[in-house]
Amino acid sequence: MTGFFKRLPEAVVRVGIVFLLFITTVSFARWMIPASLKNGREHRTATVKRETAKAIHYAGADACTECHKEINAVKTEGYHRNLSCETCHGAAKNHAEDPDVKAVTDKVREACTRCHMYDPSRPTGFPQINPVVHNPRKQCVECHKPHSPKPPHVPQECQACHGQIARTKEVSPHVDLPCTTCHTVDVQHKVSPREVRAQIPSDRSFCAKCHSIDSPVKETQKVDIKTHGEKYLCWQCHYPHEPELHSYGTKTLP
Amino acid sequence: MHTAAHAMLFLLPQTTGYIFPNEAEMPWSLLIVVYPYLTGLVAGAFILASLVKVFNVKELQPVYRLSLLTALAFLLIAPLPLLLHLGHPERSYEIFLTPNLTSAMAMFGFVYAWYLMVVLLLEIWFTYRRELIVWSQGERTVMKVVYRVLSLFSVDTSEESAAFDRKAIKVITIVGIPSAFLLHGYVGFIFGSVKANPWWSSVLMPIVFLFSAIVSGIALVTFLYMVLTTLRRERINMACLDKMASFLFYAVILDFSLEFLDFIHRLYESEESIKILSELVMNRLFFSLGVIQVLLGMFVPLGIMVLIRVLRLDEELRKLLYFVAVILIQLGIFATRWNVVIGGQMFSKSFRGLMEYKAKIGGMDGFLMTLVLLVLPFIVLTVLIKVLPPWDRPESVAR
Repeated sequence: MTGFFKRLPEAVVRVGIVFLLFITTVSFARWMIPASLKNGREHRTATVKRETAKAIHYAGADACTECHKEINAVKTEGYHRNLSCETCHGAAKNHAEDPDVKAVTDKVREACTRCHMYDPSRPTGFPQINPVVHNPRKQCVECHKPHSPKPPHVPQECQACHGQIARTKEVSPHVDLPCTTCHTVDVQHKVSPREVRAQIPSDRSFCAKCHSIDSPVKETQKVDIKTHGEKYLCWQCHYPHEPELHSYGTKTLP
Repeated sequence: MHTAAHAMLFLLPQTTGYIFPNEAEMPWSLLIVVYPYLTGLVAGAFILASLVKVFNVKELQPVYRLSLLTALAFLLIAPLPLLLHLGHPERSYEIFLTPNLTSAMAMFGFVYAWYLMVVLLLEIWFTYRRELIVWSQGERTVMKVVYRVLSLFSVDTSEESAAFDRKAIKVITIVGIPSAFLLHGYVGFIFGSVKANPWWSSVLMPIVFLFSAIVSGIALVTFLYMVLTTLRRERINMACLDKMASFLFYAVILDFSLEFLDFIHRLYESEESIKILSELVMNRLFFSLGVIQVLLGMFVPLGIMVLIRVLRLDEELRKLLYFVAVILIQLGIFATRWNVVIGGQMFSKSFRGLMEYKAKIGGMDGFLMTLVLLVLPFIVLTVLIKVLPPWDRPESVAR
């Protein structure tokens, strides 16, 4: 065996030693690492153990309701009914166990804008504001009651919820038309916007009231409703909130 | 969270058409452009070195050691952009200790370790072993210890041991060529295998990456050779320079053909993504792809090299034109990486909208960090050249 090593070129032996040292170090480091970091199953078991050992900070909404029945009654009627108390009031297990320990509620604007800041990925109609321009120096709770939130005035205008459409319509020829010209809206739509939907016109004759050549309405663009794009509904080509501005004036279109 | 929402308010007005809400912000930033760029330079520089040892291109002997050291300097910095982009570079050793064997991304650790330890360091060690012994005998200060350690306390300077070194270098280089292909082919594979992204998903991707790597590596070593030789007030070996330029010329032609093939293939296939991709190329990438990558990075250097061949220009003019060409090529290859990485994140998966990218200035993955990472390999290379001069050391010649 020693003869074999003696016959090896010196360079190979030296490089070999370095590689051997490296492999030994890595193997030793691997050996030192606990199995829960190398084996998937053991890793998950260890995670469950670690997480369950953590202290519990939240009391749960049921614990709150036991004492705060009136507030809960208000809340279950309002839009925040699906939020748990501690979402806004913070972890309150200590308070539930000993009422003398006060629950700390952070009333900063950021607590509300976490859900209510404008974000295009949120559903249309969800109340969203731009915190920079929406009463920037006021706390939200000065105008809105968090347990039963409503805008300070029940929205008289549709744009309270449909801001994007309202802004589009503002620069369109339809700017002077109230939304109810085309949409019939049940009062209930303001309360349950998903269940009770606003209605849209069902046929071409509706647009023809203003845009047909024989319409008595002045200052609108006119078309011959019998020949102009006959098999389509008007809004399949023209977006009613921003119909195209042509330079034809009130002349009859081809 | 609020900063993310504010970033969205800032980014959204710059998008066009329809995009999904989670597409406004790009997950892979400028640092991910730097990563394939640096890795490509490593692979390219090594391929140039292998031309000397495996294919016996004698003219390139003057740049053999320089290209090895260049490859090492850039390889040492190559993982930094990834580690910085992940956000916690100080924890990176954990990735190496508990690797995920089924993740394609984790494979880089293995490819990297193999390439660094089994190919580059080993080849450089065998190349310098005998010199290290000689140098350590001539030194008295700290450098004596440094050279002793670097030579792994080797003492054998006999002709037989030198012959063995040469044999070992040849074997390592032969192993090294597929390894260099693996290193940069791997980077291409990571993009090419993203099947949800039509701009990336292509079998040609690893091969295109590889040839652009060879182009950039040869161009970089040419640049370094010209600058360093001038700084040392020596004459540039024109036979070597012309040979490098001629390899560069063929590599650029191959690279261009491959990319053109990819382009034609996409155009003829005309999959459902073709409309948004042509929008991408004509709008968002027009400058970086059309002007920088294709015109300045390929056509102009190709034109220059054709001109040099046809007109048989004199030495000084050739040097000047080569110098301009290699700088343009570097610019073009950086734009190539940009167009792949950033371009691939600029169109919506709905195929109906385009996003915009604005790099941050500061921060761990911003513009300034990118500049630092692009300068760092040159600093490492300076140290390497000081310790392991790739040419005869002036003082040893004097002795």
